[in-house]
Amino acid sequence: MAATYTQPVQTLIDELGRLPGVGPKSAQRIAFHLLKAPRDDVARLAHSITDAKTRVRFCVRCFNFAEAELCPICLDDRRSGQVLCVVEESRDIVALEKTGEFHGRYHVLLGAMSPLEGIGPEQLKMKELFIRLEPEGVEEVILCTNPNTEGEVTALYIARMLKPFDVKVTRIASGLPVGGDLEYADELTLGRALEGRRELT
Amino acid sequence: MSRLYRDSGVVLRTYKLAESDRIIVLLTEEHGKVRAVAKGVRKTGSKFGGRLEPMSHIRLLLHEGRDLDIVNQVDTIDSVAPLMIDLDHITQGMAVLEAVDQMAMDREPNPQLYRMLVGALRTISTSDSPLVVPAFFWKLLALEGVRPELDVCVRCGETAALVAFDMDHGGVLCRNCRSGAPISAEALQLMRLILGGQLNAALAAPVSQASHEVNNHATRAVEHHIERKLRSVAVFERH
Ligand SMILES: [Zn+2]
Ligand SMILES: [Zn+2]
Repeated sequence: MAATYTQPVQTLIDELGRLPGVGPKSAQRIAFHLLKAPRDDVARLAHSITDAKTRVRFCVRCFNFAEAELCPICLDDRRSGQVLCVVEESRDIVALEKTGEFHGRYHVLLGAMSPLEGIGPEQLKMKELFIRLEPEGVEEVILCTNPNTEGEVTALYIARMLKPFDVKVTRIASGLPVGGDLEYADELTLGRALEGRRELT
Repeated sequence: MSRLYRDSGVVLRTYKLAESDRIIVLLTEEHGKVRAVAKGVRKTGSKFGGRLEPMSHIRLLLHEGRDLDIVNQVDTIDSVAPLMIDLDHITQGMAVLEAVDQMAMDREPNPQLYRMLVGALRTISTSDSPLVVPAFFWKLLALEGVRPELDVCVRCGETAALVAFDMDHGGVLCRNCRSGAPISAEALQLMRLILGGQLNAALAAPVSQASHEVNNHATRAVEHHIERKLRSVAVFERH
């Protein structure tokens, strides 16, 4: 299909279309919305993007979003370092924090293993997890990856790698429906799943 | 215009789509490889539950679309649960799915491939044999018309001292003509069992140097045929 928009419009559509979950039609719709919106609104959006991008980085310890070296959770010394909850993305921390059930620390893998896409342990913050265990005196690792195939492969792989370590390895309970993303689970279900976690051997 | 149809299938892989949907790639029994949208499947409490995860063997009701079909209803035939409790079972299942995905044609019925895939996944979930996947790969290649010569040197016809295996030449080679990779007599024997209708005898063989060899030759042969690496194998090979 030949580009029929002027070049700046087409560039905007192309850029939006590169965002996750945004197809060509949505990209077009968002672009038109932005072009019709008041200049101030658009400036605020542009600013919030560049502002977040310059100020936010990954916590050097757990890879959660942070504004400093460490994220607010790692900085909070009321939180126990003995229990570590492994998640795929920062958004899963948000979901788990809402349950109010977890008082330990996190480790964000920044993704999940996906054999069919060639995403293995090297592409994730896996080594970084293993080297945390001893210095932080971790006694239990809870694997809170998504209850789908990729999350399950990731959890089983970590469990296997953790065998030589002297830590208890648990998996969030199967009260969570398989196939759903963790971020969509309600607090109650997620809280119960966390409570009913089982040990992986 | 749009019509509903029923079929059985195995989920080969899935792609995220928009907020909470997925594109499901299936190998169906009667319609070959089909791509269909499952709406809302990533939401907790979706009516599809976990029935559309890779390796799921299901009965489906689909809405035919121009490009992508739409998943309407799903019932489980074989649950993925027994495969999901063991890392080795999952990795074997993934390798099988990837090879099938590469070889199956869109909307081209191949009921035999479908039956082989269902059989392979069932065998993986119940067997600890190191040769389930390699055996499946060799059978898959045979189905594609690529059956390696295992009895005589592909160059000179010699039947003794067969020491090498080379998919470029289509099979085994004798000491004088050898090219490709070395192959042991034990590995060659296992491959003859697999391709000679004695699969169960081959699957009873324990993990050994020979089973590793057969495994490597099978992977390389599939990669040679599809002209690319098997990602699901490479991900775990590095460890
Ligand atoms: Zn942190
Ligand atoms: Zn020869």
